[in-house]
Amino acid sequence: MRHDLRWKGALILIAILIFALLISPVGTKIFKGAPIRQGLDLQGGIELLLTPDYRLGVSALSKLRDELLTKLNEANINVQASYLGTLDGDRYEGLRFSFANESDLQRARNLGVFPQQYQLNAFGETKRLNFKPEIKGNAIELTVLQSADDFPKDSLKRSLAIISNRINEASHGMAEADVRLDEGKNRIHVQLPGIKTLQEAKSLITATGRLTFRINNRIVLDGTYLQDVRVNFDQTRRSWVIAFQFKGDGAKQLAKITTENQKKQMAVYLDETLLMDPIIDEPIPNGEGIITLGGTPKSEVERYALLMKSGALPISLRVVQSTQVAPTLGDEIVKQSLVAGIVGIILVVAFMILFYGIPGMLADVALGCYAVFVLGLIALLRGVLTLPGVAGVVLGVGMAVDANVIIFERIKDEIRNGKRVRPAVQSGFERAFVTILDSNITTLIVAVVLLFLGSGPVQGFAMTLAISILVSMFTAIVVTRLLLEWWIDHDPDRYAKYFGVKEVVE
Amino acid sequence: MDLMKYKWFYIGGFLAIMLLCAVLLFVNPYNDWGRKPGSALNLGIDFTGGTKIYFPVDRPVTSDEVAQVLKSIELPDFRYNPPQPNQYVDSSGVIRHQVLVYTRFLNDTEQEIVVDALEAKFGKAEQEQGLDITRVDPLIGAELLTNSTIAVLIAIALMLVYIWFRFELLSGFAAILALIHDSLVVMGAFALFGMEVNATMIAAILTVIGYSINNTIVVFDRIRENLKSKRRETTFSEVANDSTLQTFRRSLNTSITTVLAILVLFITVPNLRELLFALIVGLTAGTFSSLFLAGPIWAVIKDWRDKKRYTPKTANAVR
Repeated sequence: MRHDLRWKGALILIAILIFALLISPVGTKIFKGAPIRQGLDLQGGIELLLTPDYRLGVSALSKLRDELLTKLNEANINVQASYLGTLDGDRYEGLRFSFANESDLQRARNLGVFPQQYQLNAFGETKRLNFKPEIKGNAIELTVLQSADDFPKDSLKRSLAIISNRINEASHGMAEADVRLDEGKNRIHVQLPGIKTLQEAKSLITATGRLTFRINNRIVLDGTYLQDVRVNFDQTRRSWVIAFQFKGDGAKQLAKITTENQKKQMAVYLDETLLMDPIIDEPIPNGEGIITLGGTPKSEVERYALLMKSGALPISLRVVQSTQVAPTLGDEIVKQSLVAGIVGIILVVAFMILFYGIPGMLADVALGCYAVFVLGLIALLRGVLTLPGVAGVVLGVGMAVDANVIIFERIKDEIRNGKRVRPAVQSGFERAFVTILDSNITTLIVAVVLLFLGSGPVQGFAMTLAISILVSMFTAIVVTRLLLEWWIDHDPDRYAKYFGVKEVVE
Repeated sequence: MDLMKYKWFYIGGFLAIMLLCAVLLFVNPYNDWGRKPGSALNLGIDFTGGTKIYFPVDRPVTSDEVAQVLKSIELPDFRYNPPQPNQYVDSSGVIRHQVLVYTRFLNDTEQEIVVDALEAKFGKAEQEQGLDITRVDPLIGAELLTNSTIAVLIAIALMLVYIWFRFELLSGFAAILALIHDSLVVMGAFALFGMEVNATMIAAILTVIGYSINNTIVVFDRIRENLKSKRRETTFSEVANDSTLQTFRRSLNTSITTVLAILVLFITVPNLRELLFALIVGLTAGTFSSLFLAGPIWAVIKDWRDKKRYTPKTANAVR
């Protein structure tokens, strides 16, 4: 046997073994989970796209409503106000003002009661609001959003860290949750495999408004700087307490507040809901303190602590896109795809043998390598296999077959044109290489563009397609060639008839 | 065999198909879905924004029955489409019923209200059967549409540059004409059957584009090779003819295997049917367009340019 064939074969065999190991149960140990991560559409779960929620809470909104109504009433305009949209958490889209008639509406507009920007003083802070009034019949629908400038620039980044932490804690690192920040678009993308209901997902992520501390209904501090919240057993008081810790500026602020407001009540709010209102016993100089809750049972204290902790997001988030897939449906599809995959492979294998005989069989072996390589690479790159991704792999099978067909047709051409088998195989591969390269690179361009510009499911598809194209090129050009040269190694011309050539031009 | 004898017939036929599909995209007499007035293409919530609920029920229900429930829900500006009940057989052979409900985009609370109302009437879904909900904010939908268009245009531009670099600009344009044909056929088929166009459809169209270009390049690769031994008196049509014939077997074999593999998926995986239908239509169109559209149109233009270049000279020589 030729020497170069031997070491090439050995290298490929080692690669196959490594990839096969990766997708075998051994891989489960290496990756600490399934070697090939399945997308939500296959294993069930919830996927959420979150953006900052700039809508106003009910209490602030009602204050705004009263302010605007006063202005309208002063101008003797008869008007009724209600909330716009459906209560979501504690927020509405805005306000609706219904006027008695068209002329009242016009007068209200001319008054300038609905400017584009508005400043609202509520609960000790000034909120900058953006108004978007829209006329619907005899009513004005006023969409009210808080200005993004009122929130720290890095609030999404910090939210992301908090959410990741929270998910890890809740799942004990078991489920393969995925949390990503799309900085350009100001969005957080969360994938929660195995979670069944929206409520469950939200309790992990979005049922988490803004935590504020208020004295006399004025916000004195918010949860941004809250670093840690824990439940401890206090020996002296013989009861469960919440221990908390502020860091940085928060700790300094807390020290100042607690010194100035001793013996006053400091209420803890999550959005507009009162959680508890403890009394400040003594100044807290270093940011670390406890909240005592009398004889409240442990479970209740834990719930408060969790709410405090979960309220520590610097900004509220709202869901702009959600996909909720039942796990059973995913199971179903995996089973169906598996059957389809097996039947498809049998068909392709049979087709190749039927048309190309023994070389076709060798190509089938190369196809086997293709399957192992593709799955192994997906596992290695920690890609996620989605439903469209399965389609990508199937399409890749087509590509891999295509490369082999191109090669065999070329070799046939060469033999027909009078070449002997060994040079025919050689030049056949060389000429087919250019064709395969050009045709696959154009397809690869599509895959890469999709990988960078596509979203969600499209990206999953693009990834498997790109991997499939590269692997199919490799298996056809390297593996098939190796097998073919190996097979014809001694006395090549005996094998001319296996290439399906009936007449040879001499 | 002279395939190019009928080149005008092919080109005319393909152009007619493209025109027909383009017309279907805007006015489609057969599409009475009425979901999106003014558009024949049934754009899914991925693009338009909205909520799509697959609600499992334990018995067959009628659309009216479900509509009654939706009607009783009081939400501001609550809009929904006629509910579509359907059934499927799961892997254990049990017939399952479900109803597909489309509504406007619902926020978290609203989603709970709608699902609670359905559960109150039809009972909570069993564990084995799943509730499937997708919600897309209209803003996100609009963004997907723009992003997808940009992605397609960038992909086409990059392919054009690559083909220009490796072949010639004219081949690039011919290839792109072929893939415009293929995507038009896919979209036309979707308009004709009123099938939902969603985000995965973008993936399907791009796959078809990738596959079609792959096929076309194989033909142009042959043409490039045969041009090396082309003599002055052979026409470009003859070169295209030879090249198409030489790659014919390969194109057919490859397409048959790929479509075969997809067909198996189509039969066994109902949830993927829309995507696979698009692929089957697109790949078939792609096979024909790369054999009978890209080559002929390239040859016609080349021959025409050739004639323009050489006729005056020959005329001079004769005089």
